[in-house]
Amino acid sequence: MLEHRLIIVTGKGGVGRSAVTAALALRAVHLGKRVLTVSMTDQTGLALHLGRERLDYEASEIRPGLHALAVHRPAALNEYLKVQLGVPKVTRMGPLARAFDALASTAPGIREVVTMGKVLWEVRKAAWDLVIADGPPLGQIGSHLRAPQTVTELVPVGKVREQADWMMELLADSSVCGMLLVTLAEELPITETQEALTWLTEHHVISPPQVVANRILPALDASSRQINGAGPGSVQEAALMHTALRAEQQKWLTELPPDLQLPFLFGLLTPPEVAARLADVWGEE
Amino acid sequence: MTSKVLLITGGGGVGKTTLSAALAVTAARNGVRTLVVTIDPARRLATALGLKNLGSEPSPHKNEPNLWAAMLDASASWKAIAHRHAPADVADRLVDNPFFEAATQHFPASQSYASAEEMANYVETRAWDLVVIDTPPSAGGIEFFSAPAEMRDLVGGRLLRWLTGGALPGRRTLFTLTARPALRIAGAALGSDLLERVAEFLMDMRTMYDGLARRAVQIEQHFRDARTVVVTTADPAPLREAARFYRELPDRVPDPDAIVFNRVLPDGWHNPKPPTDGPLIENLVRWGAEAHRQTEVRKEFAALWKTDIATVPWRPKTPTTLDDLAALIAKAKGLNLERLGVVPQ
Repeated sequence: MLEHRLIIVTGKGGVGRSAVTAALALRAVHLGKRVLTVSMTDQTGLALHLGRERLDYEASEIRPGLHALAVHRPAALNEYLKVQLGVPKVTRMGPLARAFDALASTAPGIREVVTMGKVLWEVRKAAWDLVIADGPPLGQIGSHLRAPQTVTELVPVGKVREQADWMMELLADSSVCGMLLVTLAEELPITETQEALTWLTEHHVISPPQVVANRILPALDASSRQINGAGPGSVQEAALMHTALRAEQQKWLTELPPDLQLPFLFGLLTPPEVAARLADVWGEE
Repeated sequence: MTSKVLLITGGGGVGKTTLSAALAVTAARNGVRTLVVTIDPARRLATALGLKNLGSEPSPHKNEPNLWAAMLDASASWKAIAHRHAPADVADRLVDNPFFEAATQHFPASQSYASAEEMANYVETRAWDLVVIDTPPSAGGIEFFSAPAEMRDLVGGRLLRWLTGGALPGRRTLFTLTARPALRIAGAALGSDLLERVAEFLMDMRTMYDGLARRAVQIEQHFRDARTVVVTTADPAPLREAARFYRELPDRVPDPDAIVFNRVLPDGWHNPKPPTDGPLIENLVRWGAEAHRQTEVRKEFAALWKTDIATVPWRPKTPTTLDDLAALIAKAKGLNLERLGVVPQ
């Protein structure tokens, strides 16, 4: 997975997408790569897992080898107009930017292509060995991956169209782009992940993703006789809770066997501690 | 008879849909005629509620006399909204326009608005004592309450004004966008009549303005009359969403009537006894650490925002029957069911 130049991480809300993104980035840095992590949404999850309050549009250094930025929409739009469409600054501000914003809110694909454009532009700049994107939630991943295609259907000629063409090529190149779907071993995340896998198989916009199951409970090394023998009380309660939760998880894992399992982390951990622990697990695999 | 409204909000993955259903079942079993409007329930939960297909038509439950359930279909709701608020010919044109679907998916407030308008429709039929609304996950929490104002603003021409550089054109034949220098450049970049098509679409959207503005005022009145439950777990992301209810201005967001921590571990696991070793003790120690973390997070939240907290226990099995759902509320601590309208006063 880490041989790619871009990894897009996605998953249903609440499955730990940002933690996994941060962990993957730490792992890649540990292997000596120059890494950029990008938050594609305006949520602060990635920032917190990197030990920051927030991330700016300008890439900032988190630690040697690791940079991070967040795609804030107005800034991304401005850069898109300047770098990709070659619109001079004087006309960028004001009416044009606002007109473009109106367009981006209405016409399918435009908003997503601006966000995807920023990420793919960073890949193309080749200042990093690896770009890891904390992507949009699973429900929006299709419209983002398909955005360049949507735009070419909408806009037959012109600069926006030309930009969409190279984006599609880059995304579809399996040596460049990889994808991680993060899930939990629960009904809704598993069902949505299966639906996303079907969609991705049908649309061929990106090479087949890997699935990471997060917060997986370890096996309890005790027989049911031992558990019964413990007698009523918190020891037995915790054991019954654990075995029941684990059985439920294992059932969902057989529905969708993941490429990697990350452990449930017990107790008081800060978001950066969570990312560091998960990165260690990644190293052991 | 007037319907009370119970809004269940919170971040993604906290169990909003399950708790909405659980509160609705509890209300129904207390003799309250209840409709629960869910969004994207798990299959087993949908089955328990007797829901088969997506659709906003409420259906009575086979085995639970006072319970009705419906599932929000935002796309269908938006088509109905267009037909309700725009002239018939314009509405037909709107729903066939590919921009319509994109716009109603893109506007951050649009799923919330669709849900809020359905809420108002259900309340006004007065067929139920209580309408329980599972709010859209995309809304996170507080955005649900600003959705009507947001939609009114958007439909009213904010985007169109931007597109035309300030003026709102009166008739579609009277304006040519390319006459404006800035838009000529945009036109060159986009290489087509795209901007004009967008402008035409936005002008069609504007015909909904009067109807939608009136409706928004009514919806906001329903919000003021509603009870609000904020659901969270002890995880950082949903906690940030929950805290926004206290950080935002009170005229934007109501004070929650209950803060519910879901998936709570038992109290007695903090200090495992007896102090021996072995896998069972190790297991209790790690779960005890998790229980301790949860307690600390709840204490911190309660102290910071000076609020009472209700708890719902972590059940190893997802509820699959109405009895499971009712048991969830029966085992909850600190929930004032009278205040929420779930138990008659």
